[in-house]
Amino acid sequence: MNAPYFKFGYFGDEISLIVAFAIGIGFGFFLERAGFGSGRKLAAQFYLYDMTVFKVMFTAIVTAMVGLFWLSVFGIVDLSLVYVSPTYLVPQVVGGLILGVGFVVGGYCPGTSCVGVATGKYDAMIYLLGIIAGIFVFGEMFPLLEGFYKSTAMDIVTLPELFGMSYGLLVFLVVVMALGGFAGAEWVEKKFRKGAAQ
Amino acid sequence: MKAIFSHLSFNQKLAIVAGVLGFLAIFAGSPYTSNTATMNVKELALLVEKEVDHVTVDELADWIIQGKADYRLMDLRNEKEFNEYHIPTAENIPVGSLIDAGLTRNEKIILYSEGGIHSAQAWFLLKAKQYKAVYMLRDGLAEWKDRILFPSLAENASAEEKAAFEKRKAVSMFFGGSPQTGTGRAQATPQLAMPKLEMPAGSAAPAGTAKKKKKEGC
Repeated sequence: MNAPYFKFGYFGDEISLIVAFAIGIGFGFFLERAGFGSGRKLAAQFYLYDMTVFKVMFTAIVTAMVGLFWLSVFGIVDLSLVYVSPTYLVPQVVGGLILGVGFVVGGYCPGTSCVGVATGKYDAMIYLLGIIAGIFVFGEMFPLLEGFYKSTAMDIVTLPELFGMSYGLLVFLVVVMALGGFAGAEWVEKKFRKGAAQ
Repeated sequence: MKAIFSHLSFNQKLAIVAGVLGFLAIFAGSPYTSNTATMNVKELALLVEKEVDHVTVDELADWIIQGKADYRLMDLRNEKEFNEYHIPTAENIPVGSLIDAGLTRNEKIILYSEGGIHSAQAWFLLKAKQYKAVYMLRDGLAEWKDRILFPSLAENASAEEKAAFEKRKAVSMFFGGSPQTGTGRAQATPQLAMPKLEMPAGSAAPAGTAKKKKKEGC
């Protein structure tokens, strides 16, 4: 038996919802334990004196990437069945920038705002209401935005295909980038924490 | 070396593990293994158009009678249906197990199911995986029953049709069928008993394939 279990039909829709719920709870739990329920800690990332968000997220990326790569090499995961979202380059870049601005201003991203709400943070509740309002406004404006939303479609693109390199080499480069990033983050933290204390 | 490693913090040890796994990844090959395929759509469309993608039940019956051994006959139905009846020399490989069934890309493979749909779908799967000589049994087991096991002759048949039916009768008897004369096929077929699952006398299974059965699923 190999993964992804749902796509191989090892369980149906109902069980998949239970599995998704359990994964969601687990994800929220670890975000909370990493301190991501606090808007202050999250915003500190952008002022460079607490790089926890960067380190946790990059750790998650490297763990998932190395794990998926080796599990698929050993035939435990069929990577060709793992969903990769299609690329719409310009809309996704613009969307990412809007999310980033919202992150700095509000102190949360959508996931962490749910973690904040679960732990009773009022600012997170206001933030989540803002997200819901934003979804509603976007939905109502969709006919106007549809042309832009679907522009620069590139279908499913992965970095190895785009750059014509092997998957293994990309894994190695991302790991090197992450390790360099961790070292850099430690250095930046020390520098700006010192600056903040003066 | 061991002393140096034991002095490292937990985070540093994890970083080393990630670095080693990342480095080894360079030599591990592609993570996308057996389940992706490419197909030349135009080439497949031409094969379909030229109707060179199938064999007829008469041809297959002929090959079995002659004891030809240069093909493998695949029954794509489930194990229960296969055990109830299957064409002599067939192997039972459900569609989901076909790619992992150890077929080699140059052997002649003939696919059949109850009708034509499953074998057509399986044909595309194998062609997409670059299997060269894949064929479908035209109209599948339904046609095999109609033409080979239980051929029928209408009461008002011409002399030519009667002569052809005599030939067909011999083939039918060979496979344990029962030729029908004078009655409409539509009423008669449901009551007809399927032949016993024995190799017809005088025929031989293709070399290396006899009764080789794959287990289904995981």
